[in-house]
Amino acid sequence: MTMSRDAVLDVLARRRTGEVVVATMTSVRSWQERAPHARNLLCFGFMGGASTLGLGVALGRPDLSVWVLDGDGSLLMQLGSLATIAGAAPRRFLHVVFHNGVYEVSGGQPIPAAGKISYAALAQAAGYAAAERFDDVETFDGALDGLLAVDGPVLVELITNPEGDFYAAPPPSAQAQPPLLARNWPPVRADLAGD
Amino acid sequence: MPIPERIPADRLLDAIHGAGVEFVVAVPDTHQRTLLEAIEADAGIQVVRAATEDEGVAICAGLIVAGRRPLLQIQHAGLYACVNNLRGIGLDGAFPIVMLVGLLGRDPARAPRENFGSMVRLAEPLLDALTIPYHLLETTVDLPQLAQAYGEAEVCGGPVAVLLGEESGPPQGVPA
Repeated sequence: MTMSRDAVLDVLARRRTGEVVVATMTSVRSWQERAPHARNLLCFGFMGGASTLGLGVALGRPDLSVWVLDGDGSLLMQLGSLATIAGAAPRRFLHVVFHNGVYEVSGGQPIPAAGKISYAALAQAAGYAAAERFDDVETFDGALDGLLAVDGPVLVELITNPEGDFYAAPPPSAQAQPPLLARNWPPVRADLAGD
Repeated sequence: MPIPERIPADRLLDAIHGAGVEFVVAVPDTHQRTLLEAIEADAGIQVVRAATEDEGVAICAGLIVAGRRPLLQIQHAGLYACVNNLRGIGLDGAFPIVMLVGLLGRDPARAPRENFGSMVRLAEPLLDALTIPYHLLETTVDLPQLAQAYGEAEVCGGPVAVLLGEESGPPQGVPA
């Protein structure tokens, strides 16, 4: 079985309260549509960096929960981050990995070891407090509250369908404005400072 | 060119405290091992161990979002390794990240860009290419540059590198 990414995001959005959510790549637009919030930290352009960006927020503000919406191709580009996150052991840290088996933004080419690799097993072996794999929405929905109550870090590997969200280069007029992250993080910091 | 010296680890640590640093995000560097030992022993600074320098850049950015002041402590080889996150997070994201970069193997009789080895020789040209400002710590007289780098990073809205020209020395009073 596989899930649609957006059905999974709906499950997460229903539980979202004051968490800082780091979203990257193809989850950015869908997450922002479902759960617009002053604490959405949205990023493109440095595959693999979202989880450690979230780790920094979690270490700097251990009183807050941090969720990271990551992709399998992205995670593979900085796979050592699993050890870094496990070592730092942020307690309120949910690492969501969408495992669709392809590099979606570049046209759906298969990732290395597609169909063989398990990110939940890798996270467990790296030292995450808990890691589980899900391939249907109802089971994930039923397990999520329990996983959110675990002292983290926690990773959930979600077997999802490729959505066909290929990357289209923005027009030159859009390229002239500051990149998404540069526009996005100062308001997030301001919101956290007021907490 | 001033004669480079091994700046004692405790003097470097004082400069780090003076800059208001709360977190040191580190990938180990032989060149800075005495400093890293001093930082690890300091209860006032939280050390975050990263597996790669790319991760270190991202962790520093997250700490800045959280309102903290980090220092990224890496070796020149790590500078080469983290170019994509320096570009995508540091430059494009406009994060005021300060990096302390060890020039391991540098011939102290020569300016870094006149060294034979590519690791040392290409560090400054790489930073020039990335449009990242940098400063060279050669003696204790240069230590205020570390705190100044934070102000510079805020003003220019991006990373600033501080290059450690000679290997960090043992703390004062401790034999080398």
